[in-house]
Amino acid sequence: MVPIQYYLLLSASVFCIGLFGVLTRNNALLFLMSVELMLTGANINLVAFSAQTGTLTGQVFSLFVIALAAAEVAIGVGIVLALVRNFEGVDVTRATTMRW
Amino acid sequence: MAAFDYAPAIAVLPLASFVIALVAGRYMPKGGAFAGILATGGSLVLSAWMAFAVAGGDTYNESLYTFVDAGEELSLHLGVLIDPLSAMMLVIVSLVAFLVHVFSLGYMNDEGETGLPRYYAGLGLFSASMLGFVLADNLFMAFMFFEMVGLCSWLLIGFWFRDAAPPSAAKKAFLVTRFGDYFFLVGVVAVFATFGTAAFAGAESFPTIAEEALAGGSEGAGGAAVTTFFGLDPGAWFAVIALLILGGVIGKSAQFPLHTWLPDAMEGPTPVSALIHAATMVAAGVYLVARIYGFYALLPTVLAVVAFVGGFTALFAATMALVKNEIKQVLAYSTISQYGYMMLALGAGGYVAATFHLMTHAFFKALLFLGAGAVIIAMHHGEDMWEMGGLRKKMPVTYWTFLAGSLALAGIFPFAGFWSKDEVLYEALVHGLNDPLLLGAYAMGLAAVFVTGFYTFRMVVLTFHGKPRSDVARDPHGVGWNVKFPLVVLGALAVVAGFLNMAPVAELTGLHVDYLHQWFVGPLEATSLETYEGLIEERAGYEAAELSPLLPAAVSLALALAGAGLAVVLYRGAEPTEHTDRLGSAKRVLASNYYQDEYQVWLAEGLTARVARAADTFDQGIIDGVVNGTGSVSLLSGSRVRRIQTGVVSNYAALLTLGLVALLVVLGVTGGWF
Repeated sequence: MVPIQYYLLLSASVFCIGLFGVLTRNNALLFLMSVELMLTGANINLVAFSAQTGTLTGQVFSLFVIALAAAEVAIGVGIVLALVRNFEGVDVTRATTMRW
Repeated sequence: MAAFDYAPAIAVLPLASFVIALVAGRYMPKGGAFAGILATGGSLVLSAWMAFAVAGGDTYNESLYTFVDAGEELSLHLGVLIDPLSAMMLVIVSLVAFLVHVFSLGYMNDEGETGLPRYYAGLGLFSASMLGFVLADNLFMAFMFFEMVGLCSWLLIGFWFRDAAPPSAAKKAFLVTRFGDYFFLVGVVAVFATFGTAAFAGAESFPTIAEEALAGGSEGAGGAAVTTFFGLDPGAWFAVIALLILGGVIGKSAQFPLHTWLPDAMEGPTPVSALIHAATMVAAGVYLVARIYGFYALLPTVLAVVAFVGGFTALFAATMALVKNEIKQVLAYSTISQYGYMMLALGAGGYVAATFHLMTHAFFKALLFLGAGAVIIAMHHGEDMWEMGGLRKKMPVTYWTFLAGSLALAGIFPFAGFWSKDEVLYEALVHGLNDPLLLGAYAMGLAAVFVTGFYTFRMVVLTFHGKPRSDVARDPHGVGWNVKFPLVVLGALAVVAGFLNMAPVAELTGLHVDYLHQWFVGPLEATSLETYEGLIEERAGYEAAELSPLLPAAVSLALALAGAGLAVVLYRGAEPTEHTDRLGSAKRVLASNYYQDEYQVWLAEGLTARVARAADTFDQGIIDGVVNGTGSVSLLSGSRVRRIQTGVVSNYAALLTLGLVALLVVLGVTGGWF
């Protein structure tokens, strides 16, 4: 059996790749993808611990997270559409009218 | 009793004349004067009716209208209390107000004054306030009307508001009396807080409760429930309350040191001066002390203060009258002095003497002021006595009535002032023989008799005798019936009012001619004379020495005659000279009124204004500085900190991440992961 540390490392790497994407990209669609990566990182974590402890709780929970991610994408795409309509593009740095 | 049902009308009638004169005065003949004359005449008739009812042994003590009712704790109401004291005072006030209204026809209408509706409205409100004050059955209502009296004095003293001096004098009168009233207000609140009631008479009245509390000895030993403050025992705390109320009395009755407003108040029309001095405003203070005498009689310390202030004021004001050149100024200082006598009598336990002097003084001082008004009409509104002289032949009615008033003021036998002033001094003496402080007050009162005789006859001789010293005095303006009628009525009263209470004669011959004493041996127990005399002896510990009234009376009469005689000798002759110059520097002090105004102005400008300015600086600089500083710090930091709200999502995400990392580091360090 693969030791849990590897799963955790994988999970952290995927999460960090997603985070890196969120922090460095200006494209709203890439944002969505990066957020999916971060969620996936969390899922790996859940499943790994589920396998480790031999209970199903983590796996069930990861199913919920996947469903949530799908819902999130639906809303995210809506926001991206609104972005395109109002700011003529998917660049998130342009949408700064809500600041002070 | 049916008569008392009409009691409120006594005050309401002049109030109605105030409204009528104000609303319709300009369309009425004589500027609304007749409304006022009818109203005060009606009040006079009703007051006389009340007096007859009281003489028949009835009294009245009812609450009429409650405007704040907080159950057992507190209730503020308007009510009517009619007992011998208020019945007497009602007659005096409405009589003087009535005569002043009539006199105003001659002084204001015939002289072609403008603004008459305003004048008569003011007179009506003034009379109504004073009558309401006299009717009051509780301290709170008394305070309300006390304040209204002050307001009316402001309106009337400043009647000629286009000149410079009257508005300033009106302001001064208002502010100085208000200074005293401030203490009175605190006293009223203290009475409510202590006794839970402010009623004057009855089982639930504050003098009765105070007496029970003091009779109960130490707290809780059967005494009535009173709340004292600052850890004082009831006696000391009651004295504090009495002194606070006395503040209002000193302001209104123009006692030292708050007397300075009264001479300035001469800027008002002369009938107003008569009303203020004889019956309404100045009398209010003394009346208030007499009204709650059952409270004052419990407190020997306060009585001593009252007596001493009174005696001192009597002498102090009389000396200032010596060097005045305007006829009304002399009368103004004599008023202060005479009210000093009343305070002396009250403080010395002479309740009847004080009220008696209050009555006779009301008559002869109204007479003197109206007489002075007649002289002023004759002199085409000149007031300087050195411009007058020889008016005796030209205006005999005025002369003889004025002389009667002057004899009464000087206290010459058998005029009204002799009997009352003599009784004041007798009371002060018999109680003073066992009390050095009272004896000192008596000595000052006695010295003032001489001074009074002197300045009174200096005034009479300069005004009416000798040769005319100016063109106006050679050909004076005539006066009409409306001036002569009040003078004759008051002149007659100034002669005979003293016979109401010939206490010395009663003492010597055993005849019952001390009618006023019998009048006050009242039907209402709480405010009757026996109660007061009992309290004075038991609580205040005053002992009356056995003394024949003959010798003190002879001494004061001799002094008065000596003063009057000296004035006549010095100032008679065709061309009198100003002997006051012989006084040297003392004259300057007297003419400057002992620099009372100067020091009070210094108190206001040099001290109070500076303290106020320093307080203002402290408030504006430090208090407001702290508050404003807090505000600007918030504003400044807010304008800096808000810059992290860039609106760029990536920055927010970065900050979130940084926060998470920081949290992890903290957890790691504290949790010992490294």
